[in-house]
Amino acid sequence: MFERIREIIADQTGKDADEITMDTNVKTDLEADSLDLFQIINDIEDEFDIKIENVEGIETVGDVVKLVEESKK
Amino acid sequence: MYADICGLLNIQYPIIQGAMAWISDPSLVSAVSEAGGLGVLATGHLDAEGCVKAIKEIRERTDKPFAVNIMLLSQFADEIVKAVCEQKVPVVTTGAGSPGKYIQMFKESGTKVLPVAPSVAIAKRMEKDGADAVIAEGCESGGHVGKITTMALVPQVVDALNIPVIAAGGIADGRGMAAARMLGASGFQIGTRFLVAKECTVHQNYKDRIIKAKDIDTTTTGASTGHPVRVIRNKLARKFEELEKNNAPAEELDKLGRGALRRAVVEGDIENGSVMSGQIAGLVNKEQTAEEIIKELYGQYKEVMKNTAV
Repeated sequence: MFERIREIIADQTGKDADEITMDTNVKTDLEADSLDLFQIINDIEDEFDIKIENVEGIETVGDVVKLVEESKK
Repeated sequence: MYADICGLLNIQYPIIQGAMAWISDPSLVSAVSEAGGLGVLATGHLDAEGCVKAIKEIRERTDKPFAVNIMLLSQFADEIVKAVCEQKVPVVTTGAGSPGKYIQMFKESGTKVLPVAPSVAIAKRMEKDGADAVIAEGCESGGHVGKITTMALVPQVVDALNIPVIAAGGIADGRGMAAARMLGASGFQIGTRFLVAKECTVHQNYKDRIIKAKDIDTTTTGASTGHPVRVIRNKLARKFEELEKNNAPAEELDKLGRGALRRAVVEGDIENGSVMSGQIAGLVNKEQTAEEIIKELYGQYKEVMKNTAV
């Protein structure tokens, strides 16, 4: 799952997937603005057929992964 | 394809007055609603108590529906939502985030929810969160803006959603409304034109600056902070541009921006204050009552629609 999330994030932010780890900060390291972030969330929701809550608190890629795991329960 | 926005919001004309912080107060809101549009109270500069006071003032002036805009980033967002629900305000528009966590409260108080969305992904999110309609706002708007123009944004949002879409950004006359209608919008949000309404209590210098504005007079500042704002290009805006060009830290930009809107709106300092305005200001060239504005907008819109044939 992390692999697929990483691909989606890399695709939207124009970074190499290899550079992205759980600790990567979405805003400062990947320079994603709120438009990018919502696009990433939207694409992940479509990919895994889930709805992610509490998007506002996202800082790192790890936070995104955690929210996806919680949403799948 | 077209939804009945007037039926949804219980208003006469599908015209929504855009919320303008410090500017759209009970005087303007009640005048727009009384004239058959939807007046929208800005609360970005208010706490819950101030918000309730303003709601009561609107109700003393009109018994027609109106809306309250809630800046979800505001430190008072929680208490303002609570107050709005207690007051059973008929409609809210929201900015800066998703109203998802409040939707249940709004449904229970019978409040319709219209979030502002600057992209397709955000609009889809709002639909999933339970919004009644979405305001697709292009970057021609004044104040906080996204990156996509109304022309490009509206049809893409219309295609992606099953709920009604209201177009915003760059609309100040009946032609703009007709154009937005062609893009699939069911309603129209208009800010800058209402800023010069006779009932608008903004400082006269601010109104005069909008009336004087030409097409190229606005710019966006603050893009480096992730929150770009469209304003009239004055001394303050040029200072912002200079700082951003020199990669000044965000704190320095915040400091420069603090109190700047109030300085322009209340004190009338249109050189050192933040004169937020849409790109369409060049088309806005006279003060009229809210009723005259709405009648003229709608009359021209009907005329354009009638005469449009290919």
